[in-house]
Amino acid sequence: MTLVLDGLTKRFGPITALDGVSFSVERGQVFGFLGANGAGKTTTMRIVLDILRPDGGTVTWNGIPATDVPRRTWGYLPEERGLYPRLEVLEQLVFFASLYAIPRREAAARAREWLARFRIPDYERRRAEELSKGNQQKVQLIAAILHEPEVVIMDEPFVGLDPVNVSLLKEAFEEMRQRGTTLVFSTHQMEMVEELCEAVAIIDRGKLVLGGPIRDVKRASGRQIVRLGVEGNAELPWLGDLEGVTVVRPGRDFVELDVARGHDPQEVLGAAIARGERVTQFLIADPSIEQIFIERVGRAPSEEHHLAEAP
Amino acid sequence: MRPSPADTLRNIGAVARREFVWRGRTRTFRLTTALLVLVGIGLALAPVIIRFIDRGSAGDRIEVFVGDSQPGVDVPLALGLLLNAPIPGLPANGAGASAYRVEVAATIEAGRADVIDGSAAALLAVDRAPAGDLAFTLYSKDGILSRNNLIIQQAVSSIAIQDRLQRAGLSPGDQAALFAPPAFVLEPADPNAATNGPTSGEAYVSSFAIGFALSILLFMAIILYAQWVAFSVAEEKNSRVMEVVLAAATPFQLLSGKVVGVGGLALVQYLIVLVPSAIALVLQDRIAALIFGGPAMVGLPQGLSLALLAVFGVMFVLGFTLYAVLYAGAASLVSRQEDVNQIVAPLTLLSVGGYMVASYAGTGLIPIDSPLVIVLSFIPFFSPYLMLTRLSQGAASPVDALVSILLLVIFIPIALWVAARLYRSGVLLYGQRPTPRTLLRALRGG
Repeated sequence: MTLVLDGLTKRFGPITALDGVSFSVERGQVFGFLGANGAGKTTTMRIVLDILRPDGGTVTWNGIPATDVPRRTWGYLPEERGLYPRLEVLEQLVFFASLYAIPRREAAARAREWLARFRIPDYERRRAEELSKGNQQKVQLIAAILHEPEVVIMDEPFVGLDPVNVSLLKEAFEEMRQRGTTLVFSTHQMEMVEELCEAVAIIDRGKLVLGGPIRDVKRASGRQIVRLGVEGNAELPWLGDLEGVTVVRPGRDFVELDVARGHDPQEVLGAAIARGERVTQFLIADPSIEQIFIERVGRAPSEEHHLAEAP
Repeated sequence: MRPSPADTLRNIGAVARREFVWRGRTRTFRLTTALLVLVGIGLALAPVIIRFIDRGSAGDRIEVFVGDSQPGVDVPLALGLLLNAPIPGLPANGAGASAYRVEVAATIEAGRADVIDGSAAALLAVDRAPAGDLAFTLYSKDGILSRNNLIIQQAVSSIAIQDRLQRAGLSPGDQAALFAPPAFVLEPADPNAATNGPTSGEAYVSSFAIGFALSILLFMAIILYAQWVAFSVAEEKNSRVMEVVLAAATPFQLLSGKVVGVGGLALVQYLIVLVPSAIALVLQDRIAALIFGGPAMVGLPQGLSLALLAVFGVMFVLGFTLYAVLYAGAASLVSRQEDVNQIVAPLTLLSVGGYMVASYAGTGLIPIDSPLVIVLSFIPFFSPYLMLTRLSQGAASPVDALVSILLLVIFIPIALWVAARLYRSGVLLYGQRPTPRTLLRALRGG
C-alpha cells in the first residue's frame, strides 16, 4: 500500500514546474514535503489529486493509477484556503461530504462531532465569512477529513494558526495516524517535520533533491553534528585549526560543530581535553532536517520570510 | 479520473442542489421574483389598467363651428361617427365608450377660448370657399402631425366628398352603396400547408406581437440566467473554494451541476412569474367585464398556441443550457467578478445578433422567408430566437422546428466538452489575462 510518484514532469508554457519528480509514501506514514516557495510542491499535490494533469510521469496508489482511484481516497487542504463565504459552516461541510457520497444526515453528525473536537461547536450556523482565519482553517481541515479519506494531502497546514491551534492540529494528526490514515503535508516549519514526520521529500526548482525515511536521510547526509560545551569562555578559536570541523552555531554555553565525513567526532573531544578545557557537554547527533535542507538547497526553507541583505 | 455514472450523477446533483438551495434562499432572489411577478401581471393587464385609469375621462372634446357654410352633411354628427369608427385590423375601442365627443361651438371665439383653457382639444371651423367647396380651419394647440389633427384631417376630407356628392345630387342612400367595400377574402393556396401566414389583419398583428414578445422574453431569460452561472463560477474562483471542490468533483461534474442548479432555479423563477402573468392575460376580458361590465371572453390571445408555448419552453431550456455552459467556461478564465462581463462579451454579442435578426424578421424588416433567416434558424447559437419567430409567423413547419431542436441537442455536449476543457485549466489561472494561445492550450488538454 504505497503512494508512488514516478518521473512527474509538468510545464507551464516556458516554465518547467516539475522535472522528473519521483518518491514514494508508505501507507500510514506521516510524510513531510519540503521545498522553498515556487519549488513545485503545490503542483505536485494538484497532480496527485488529478486537479492538474502531468506532461509526463505517473502517480499510483497501491499500484492503481491515481486517475482511476476513487476521489474519496483523498482529502485535500489547499494552501489557498477557500470556503463559500456566505454559506453556513455546517452546510458547507455537508456539501463537501456529499461530493464524497456521504449521506447528508451522517455528514452532519460527523461534522458536529469534529466541530466539537476542534472546540468550535457553536459555529455550525455561522457563515464562513464571519469566522476568524484560524477557525476558517479548522473548518477547512474538517472538510478535508470528514469523508475519512485514506490519504490526507495538506498544503502548509500550520500556516496562520496560533500555538493553541497548532497543538490541536498536531493531536488530530496523531489520531489520524493511529487510525492508519496516510498524511502528506508541505511546510516551511522544519521543527514540525522533525516532530511529526517519519519520512520526507525535499524538492527544489521542480527537482527532487532527496527523499526517504528521516533517519536514512540524516545518515545518508554523512554529516555529524557535535555539540561541545566547556567551562568559562565558549569561544574556542582553536576549533578552526581542526581538520574537517566547521562551527555551524557559535554560542555562549556551547558551540555546534559540523564534522565532515571521514573524521571522527572523538577527535574534537580529544583536542579539547588536550588543550586543558574542562568539557561540560559533548553530544554527537544527526544533523537537523533544516541543516540538510540548507546544505542541499543552498538556502534556508524560510529564507523568503526574511529581508534580503541590504545593498 | 473515470468516475462511474452513479458518481457523476451524484456529484452533479450535489452541486446543483447547493446552487439551487443557496441561491433560491438569498434575499435578492426573493425580491426580484416578487418584483417580476408584479411586473408580469401588470404587463398582462396593461389594457385593463389603462382603461381603469381612463374611465373617468370622457375622451377628447372637439368643437365644431359651422357658421353660415350650410354643409350638405350634419358635420358634428358625421365627424363624431368618423372619429370613433373602429380602425380595421385593430381591436375596437371596447364597451362602446367614445374616445371623441363632438359638440357645436356658439362662436369661433368661444370655441378658441375652450381650446386655449384646455376644455376642448380642438375647434373645427367650417366655411365655404368661393368655388363652392367646403373649407376647414382647425384651431389646436398641437402640431400638424399630432394624432388628433391627422385623424380630423382624414375625417374632413371624407365630409367634403360627401358634401360634393350631395351637391351633385346623389342621395345619401346612393352614397352608401357607392362607398360600400367589395367582398374580399384571402385564402391560402394550399390550405393544408403548415407555413400559411395569418389571413386576417388581427391575426397578423397578434402573431407579430406574440413572436416579438416571445423573442424578447427568450433573449432576456437566456442572458440573465446564463450570467448567473458565469457569476457563480467567478465567485467560486474568487473565494478560492474552487480547488477544494475540484479535488472532490471533476470539472465536468462541477460545470454540469452549476448549469442544472442555476437552470432549475431559473425555470422555477420563470414559472413563478409566467403562470400568474399568463392567468392574468387569459382572464383579462373577464377582469375587464367585472370592472366595467359587459360580455367576457376567456382564452389565449390570438396567435398564441400551446404548441408555440411548448417550443418556447424547449428553446428556453436548450438555449439557456448552450449559453450557460459556454458562459461558465469563459468565466473560469478570469479571476475577478468585474471581468466576467468582458470575457463573456463575444458570446453575448452572438446572442444579441440572433435576437436582432429575429426581431427584424418578426417586424418584416428582413423577409421571414429570406435565406439568412432560414439558415440561421438551424444554427445552434441563433436557432432559439429565429425558429421561434419563424414558427410564430407560421413560416416554419414542425419538421423544421424538430431539426433545429435536434441540432441544438447535438451541439450542447460539444459545447460542454469545450467548456469543461476551458474550465479545467481556467479555474487555476489567477491574475493572468487569457490570450488566444492560453485558450488553445486549454482546449488541447489543460
